[in-house]
Amino acid sequence: MNDSTPTATTAAEPEAAAPAPVDRSVAILVWVSQRGVFLFTATLIVFASVFVNGFASFVNLTDVFYRAAPIGIVAVGMTFVVISGNYLDLSVVAQVATSAVILIAVSNEYGIFPAVLAALLVAAVYGLVNGIAVGYFKANAVIVTLSTTYIGLGILRWLSGGSIFFGPEDGPIRALGQVEVLGLPLSAVVLVVMALLLAFMLDRTNFGFTIRAFGSNNEATRLAGVNTSRVVVGAFLLTSVAAMVAGFVLAAFSNTAVSTMADGFDFGALAAIIIGGTSVFGGRGSILRTLLGVIFVSVLTNVLVLSGVGFGWQQMAIGLLIVVAVSLDTIARKVATS
Amino acid sequence: MRTTRRTLATTGFLLAAGLVVAGCGSDGDSTDTGSAEAGGEGSSYDVYALLPQGTDQPYGTTYLPPMEEEAEAQNIGLTITNSQYDADRQASDCQVAVAAQPDLIILWPAVGDTVRPCLEAADAAGIPVTVTNSDVNPEDKDLTAGYSGPDTYGQGASSAEIMCELADGEEIGILVVNGLTGNSTAINRRDGFVETVEADCPNVSILAEQPGDWNKDTSQTVTSEMLTSVGADNVQGIYAADDTMVAGAIDALKARDIDPEPLHITSIGNTELGNPLVISGELDGTVFQSSSWDGRNAVVVAGQVLNGEEVTEDLFMPSVKVTSENAEDPEVAPEW
Amino acid sequence: MTEPQTLSLGDTAATDRAGRLRAVLSRRTEGRAVVLLAVVFVMALALEPLVFTAYEVTLGRVALIGLVALGLTAVILMGELDLSVASTLAVSGVVMASVPNIYAGIAAALVVGLLIGAVNAFFVVKIGINSFIATLGMLFVLRGLAFVLSGEQPVRLTNIEAGIAFGRPLVGPVSPRILLFVLVFIALQVFVTRMRVGREFYAVGGNRQAARDAGIPVDRRVFTGFMISGFVASLAGVINTLELTAADPTAGGTVLLASFAAAIIGGVALKGGRGSIVGTLLGALSLGTIEVGLTLSGVQVDIQQVFIGGVLLIAVITDPASLREATANFRLFRRREPEVQS
Repeated sequence: MNDSTPTATTAAEPEAAAPAPVDRSVAILVWVSQRGVFLFTATLIVFASVFVNGFASFVNLTDVFYRAAPIGIVAVGMTFVVISGNYLDLSVVAQVATSAVILIAVSNEYGIFPAVLAALLVAAVYGLVNGIAVGYFKANAVIVTLSTTYIGLGILRWLSGGSIFFGPEDGPIRALGQVEVLGLPLSAVVLVVMALLLAFMLDRTNFGFTIRAFGSNNEATRLAGVNTSRVVVGAFLLTSVAAMVAGFVLAAFSNTAVSTMADGFDFGALAAIIIGGTSVFGGRGSILRTLLGVIFVSVLTNVLVLSGVGFGWQQMAIGLLIVVAVSLDTIARKVATS
Repeated sequence: MRTTRRTLATTGFLLAAGLVVAGCGSDGDSTDTGSAEAGGEGSSYDVYALLPQGTDQPYGTTYLPPMEEEAEAQNIGLTITNSQYDADRQASDCQVAVAAQPDLIILWPAVGDTVRPCLEAADAAGIPVTVTNSDVNPEDKDLTAGYSGPDTYGQGASSAEIMCELADGEEIGILVVNGLTGNSTAINRRDGFVETVEADCPNVSILAEQPGDWNKDTSQTVTSEMLTSVGADNVQGIYAADDTMVAGAIDALKARDIDPEPLHITSIGNTELGNPLVISGELDGTVFQSSSWDGRNAVVVAGQVLNGEEVTEDLFMPSVKVTSENAEDPEVAPEW
Repeated sequence: MTEPQTLSLGDTAATDRAGRLRAVLSRRTEGRAVVLLAVVFVMALALEPLVFTAYEVTLGRVALIGLVALGLTAVILMGELDLSVASTLAVSGVVMASVPNIYAGIAAALVVGLLIGAVNAFFVVKIGINSFIATLGMLFVLRGLAFVLSGEQPVRLTNIEAGIAFGRPLVGPVSPRILLFVLVFIALQVFVTRMRVGREFYAVGGNRQAARDAGIPVDRRVFTGFMISGFVASLAGVINTLELTAADPTAGGTVLLASFAAAIIGGVALKGGRGSIVGTLLGALSLGTIEVGLTLSGVQVDIQQVFIGGVLLIAVITDPASLREATANFRLFRRREPEVQS
C-alpha cells in the first residue's frame, strides 16, 4: 500500500519500563489502523463462515461478487477523483444507467459494436465536461457533478422515455453475462482486471504520481510546473470509463437496462472508498484499499441479508461503519503523531 | 471592465438558453394560456394532472401517451407534473396547480396519507379533484369527485389468491421480494399480499422478505441470498411485487440449477418481461396492470365530472389474473 | 516646501459616495445571485407572470428549498459540510408523528435535531473526522433509523386537524411555512452579521488557525454551527409533517442537493469564509422561481431537470474566482509551448 507511514513509533528506545508499553500499544494501534480494512474484512469473513449459515458456500461467494462488481468497478475508477482531493463524482449514477441503456437499446437496433462506440463517446463527454469544469474552472466537484447528474438523467429519461429495455434471450449480451471463468462470474474478473490496471496507473505512472501529489498539495504541484488541470480531466475521464464498464456489466448481468438502475451508486461507491481508508482530503489511498472497502461492504450487506436483517438496519450498519472506520483511523493517526 | 462584460455575457447566455428551453418544452404539452385546439367549437377545459411518476419509470412511460390522446380527443388542455414520489414536492405541485385555477385536477397521490391538505385547498378554491391509480384514504374520499385505477392493495391480494390456489392446502414456505422501501405502491402490494395469505391460506408461511427495489439485478441477488439463508430445499414458492423483479428471482433459481417450474411463483404486472414467462411456464401467475387503461380512464372520469355527470362509483381496473390458461389471449397482451 | 503627496491605493482612493458604494459592493459575494435572480424574474414576467400573481405558491416552494439551505449556510461558512440534513428532516418528522401529543412531538423533534447537530460536531471537533465523511455516515445512519422507527411506512399524525390548520394561510395568503422561513432568515442574518458569535463563523472559515490564535473558541463555534444546521433541518421536518399530516421516512431526498445548489448559486464558498445568508436566500429564490415557472409553463419534467442542471453548471463555472482560474489555466496551457522551444 502506497500511503505515508508514520515512522516515529517503532524507533522508541526501551529505556524505562513506563514509556515502553505505551509505545507498543501505539504501534499496535497504528498498525491496526493502517491495515484496518484488511483486518475487518478478514474478521468478518471468518466470523460469517462460522456463524452465518450458508455464507461459506460457493453459491454465496458468487453472490458477493455479483454485489461487488458493478459498484466496485465504479469505485476503483472514482478513487482517482477522490485521491486528487475532489471529493467524488456524483454523476456516476447517470453515467452507469446511460451506458447500460445505450448498450442494450443500441445493440438491439444496430449491433454491439456501434453500441460500445456510442457509450465510449458519452463517457468521453461526461469526463471532459466534469474534468474541465473542475480542473480548469476550479469549480467545486460536488456541485459540478451534481449538475451533470441532473442534465444527464434528464436527457436519458427524455430520450429513453423511461422505458425498460430488454436484450434478446439468446443475444450476445446475455451470453456475456453468463460467462464464467474458473467458476467465477465474468464481472468479478472484469473488476479484478480493472483494479490491476488502475493500480498500475496510480502507482507506477507519472500521471498517477501527479494525481497523488496534486491531492496532497495543489499549490506545490502547480508551481512545480505540472499541468494540473489536465491531470484532473484525466481523473474524471477514468471515472467515466469505469462507469461505462460498470454499466456494461450491470446490463449483461440482468439483460435489462433502465434509467433508475444505478441509483445509490454515487454515495455507495464513496462509502466503499472511505471505508477502505482513502482520505477524502486527497493524497492518501490506493486502489487496493478501495477494492477491500468494496468487498467489505458487499460481504457485510450479504451477511445482513442472510441474517434476515431489514433495510433500515442495513443502512444504519453501513453508516456506523463509515464513522467507526474513519474514527479509528483518525484517532490512531493523532495518537501516533502526539 | 472585464467583470461587467463577463456578467453581461452570462446574463445574455442565460436569457437565450431560457427562451430556447421554454420554447422547446412547451411544444409538447399544452399550457393553460394556450388557445383551443383544432375543432374549436366545443369548450375546452384546462386540467392539471399531479403525478408521482412519468418518464422516469416504465409504467408512467406507457401511462402518459393514452392519457394525452384522450385529453386531446376531449378537447382538454393538460398540464402534467411529476413529483417523483416525493410527498413534499407533490404538495408544492398541488399549490401551484390550485394557483393556476384550472377547471379540474387529476391527482395520483404519491403518499395517500399526505394528500388531505391538497384536497382541502382545491375544495376551497372550487376545483374538483378526481383520483387516478392510487386511491385516497376512505376518510378523504368525500373531497374527491371520482376515482379510476387499479387497486395496488387489490393487486397484492390477487397475486396472493393465485398463490393460495397453487398451494392447495399444503404447508409450504415462500420468499417475498418487495418493491422500493417506503414507496407507497410497494407498501400497498405487500400489505395486500401478506394480509390475504394470512387470512386465506395460513398454510403458506413467508420465510424471508427483502426489497428488490423494482430492479431485476437487485432482485436476483437478494433472492439468491435468501435462498442461501433459509435453505433452498425449504422454499416451495416465490412472490415478487412486479414482473421485472420476478424475472430476476427466476434467474436466481436458474443460476443455482433449480428448475423454476415446480415452484409456485407469482407476481404482478403482466409486462413484456412477465407474460412470456407465464407462457413458458416458469411464472405461474401474474396480475394484469394495464397502464394504458389507467392513463386513458383518468381523463375519461375527469371528462365526466367536467361535463357535469354524476360519478358515483369507483372505476376499478379489472385485476385480471394471468395464468397459463389465458396468457396467450389477446385481451391480456402486455403493454409495457 | 510642497505638500507631501499622499498615495491613495485601493479602497481608500474612493472618497466620494459613489466610489465608496462601489468599493463596498465589489466585496459582496452575491453579485452572481442577483444577476441570476434578475434574469429569472425578467423571463418569468415575460413568459409566465402567474409566478408573481400567485406569489404565495412560489414563496412556498422557495421556503421548501431554502429553509434547510439557510441552516446549511451556517455550517458552510465555517468551512464544514453537513450532508446529514436530509435524514435529519426525515427522522425528526417520524419522531414528531410518533408522539401522540402534538406539542410534545414538535418539542421532541426539535430536540432530536439539536442532538444530531451535537453528534455531528462531536465527530468533527473531538475526534477530528472530516465533516464530509462524518455527516455522510450520519446520512446513512439516520436514514436507516427513520426506516426502523417508522416501520418503513409513513406515520400519521394523531392530531390531523392541527396539521391541516397549519397548512392554511395565516397572514393574507401567506402560510405559516413561509412565515417561519422569513423568521429563520431574519434570525440567521442578524446572528451572522451583527452578533459577535455569528461573525466569528467567517473567521473560523477563512483561516482556522488564525482564528484560534485570535482567541476565538473555534470548537465551540463549530458545535454551534452544526446545532443550528440540525435544528433548522428538524424544523423543516416538523413543517413538512404538519403540512402533510403524516411523516414520510423517505422524505428529504431532493432537499439535500437542492439546498447546496441554492447556497452555491448564492455565492457561498464551500471552502468557508465567504458568502452570506442573503446570498443563500437569493439562490433559493432563483431556484424556486425557476421550478414553479417551468411547471406552470408545462415544460416536461425531464427538460426541467436538464434546465436546472444547466443553470447550476453555468452558475458555478461563472463564479468570478473560477473565471479567473480558467483564463489563467488556459493561458498557461497555451503559453507553455513557446516557452519550451526557447
